[in-house]
Amino acid sequence: MSVVSQEVHVELLLNRRVYALNGRAVGRLEEIQAELRAGECFVTEYHVGAYALVERLAAWPVGRELLRLFGATRRGVGYRVPWDKLDLRDPTRPRLRCEVGELAPLEEEG
Amino acid sequence: MKKIFEMALGIVTSIGGFLEIGSITTAAQAGALFGFQLTWAILLGGLCVIFLVEQSGRLAAVSRRTIPDAIRERFGFDYYALLLVVLALVILLVLGAELGGVCVALEFVTGVGYRWWAVPVAFVMWLIIWKGTFSVIEQGVSALGLVTLCFIAGAWALHPHWPAVAAGALPTLPTHDRARYWFIAVSILGASITPYLMFFYSSGAVEDKWDESYLGVNRIIAAGGMSFGTFISVAVLVIAGVVFLPRGIQVEHYSQLALLLTDVFGRWGFRLVAASLGIACLGAALEITLEIAYMIAQGFGWNWSKNQRPKDEARYSLTYTVVVILGALLVTTGVDPLKLTIFSMALTAATLPVAIVPFLLLMNDEHYVGEHGNGWLSNAVVLLIIGLAFVLALVTIPLEIVGGS
Amino acid sequence: MDLIRDCLDKQLLDRNGHKMGRVDGLIMELTGDGEQPRVTFVEVGAVTQATRLHPRLGRLVAALARRWGRAESDPYRIPWARVVPTGDDVTVGLLAEETPALAWERWLRAHVIGRIPGA
Repeated sequence: MSVVSQEVHVELLLNRRVYALNGRAVGRLEEIQAELRAGECFVTEYHVGAYALVERLAAWPVGRELLRLFGATRRGVGYRVPWDKLDLRDPTRPRLRCEVGELAPLEEEG
Repeated sequence: MKKIFEMALGIVTSIGGFLEIGSITTAAQAGALFGFQLTWAILLGGLCVIFLVEQSGRLAAVSRRTIPDAIRERFGFDYYALLLVVLALVILLVLGAELGGVCVALEFVTGVGYRWWAVPVAFVMWLIIWKGTFSVIEQGVSALGLVTLCFIAGAWALHPHWPAVAAGALPTLPTHDRARYWFIAVSILGASITPYLMFFYSSGAVEDKWDESYLGVNRIIAAGGMSFGTFISVAVLVIAGVVFLPRGIQVEHYSQLALLLTDVFGRWGFRLVAASLGIACLGAALEITLEIAYMIAQGFGWNWSKNQRPKDEARYSLTYTVVVILGALLVTTGVDPLKLTIFSMALTAATLPVAIVPFLLLMNDEHYVGEHGNGWLSNAVVLLIIGLAFVLALVTIPLEIVGGS
Repeated sequence: MDLIRDCLDKQLLDRNGHKMGRVDGLIMELTGDGEQPRVTFVEVGAVTQATRLHPRLGRLVAALARRWGRAESDPYRIPWARVVPTGDDVTVGLLAEETPALAWERWLRAHVIGRIPGA
């Protein structure tokens, strides 16, 4: 059986809205964590930031930082999505493969 | 010991490099129309610049990055592209104004129309950058720029009513020509608070390989150099207030600038103004040209040190060559240098947020400034400037139409 | 390691410490279900930059690159095996001069800048 390999541009994933199983927007992709193993770089987690209000502003990193600076949202609110729980077959619409409730929260950075 | 020398050098450089056509023109117009009433605007601009320049130096010393470097890295290519397009356009207009200033000074001295000087001046400028190193350019032109101290001498010699000057340090409302008053206030702020000054300062700090040990030096250079420079601008305003206002001379044409010091110094006054204008504007034009090229090179990750040979940084060299040509073109089109100056200053003020907002965020990001991040005072000042800039952005266009020309 | 904070848009340095552009893009490979995605390439070039701004702009720049014969070098891909992110920048185990990253630099040096006296 042939394995279908797909190339995704990481820089184009940045700031994309991430959708839950029920189709609702969960937040935006803020960061991708990876680990170096055996000379290769393996993706471990996707960080999705959730900003209920002023969501449009949060689409830009500048906007997110401004919101944090003004305390409009606690730093690090969002979810950690393990690498196997994000469906990237359509890179313009990343979708969760599990329930939101199953996701660990993003902790506040010190 | 070395640091003390660098400090003195930094202050001299800042003094000599502070005045340019924007500050001279806006100060002269302010004095001619409103006497000493707008002194507060110059002082406010100076105070803001001190804070911004100190922070620029701090960011560069701690993160070892220039501001454009840090903006691309922190906020991504998208934002950097926006910043580049907006700032480059505005700064090119300012460059046109500064080159115009040099050409006007040459017209004063030779009688040959300023448009004819555009190409030769641009060529000389290009040659200076092509052959010179960063320190030679910065220090050489700034040392010559000390001639602008003649304005302080002139203001002193005119014996203005000093209490009245002091009273101008507090903001007051105008009794006439309200739109004009506020438009000039906006232009004064736009002339002093320029992103290119901050970016250039951070480029210089990285070129000079500053590190955390330079934080104290940085503070002194920022405060000392910028304050002194501010006083020179105030001196121009005072002179215009004493010499122009009583005669009803409104600085509508650049040739009137030549009259600033003739009362006080006679023939020499005329020569001093021409020299000051020419040198100050040349210095500013050099800085701006270098900074546009730096902004592009740094954002794209090219080689950019001014201490290398041109062929080792071909893209950077091409960039500043193109910039010089564009600046010269702008002057040759015959746009009135005065109008271009005022317009570009107001536009600078209006587009400040694009650069200052990410800058504020960087100054609070420990990834870049470590434990040397902004305290509440520095943040408050920057927030105030951003607020001011948004207001300026809103009112600039209407004011330009009503109060500009 | 955070890919976006520590890798993307960072300065690229060759093995002698010379600047060779910035990390304009990162390619991630997804090989069917069950396999962990890997970052396989660092991408450098105007096409990558333009696409980040807008896909149409990216296509335009790609068309220009093809017209000027630069299609093989823009975008330029560096295999991950050659890449060392240090947190501050990204070092590449290559010599910048030998890579397409400096294609324009070399061309300008040879045909334009290098021809002007005093370069």
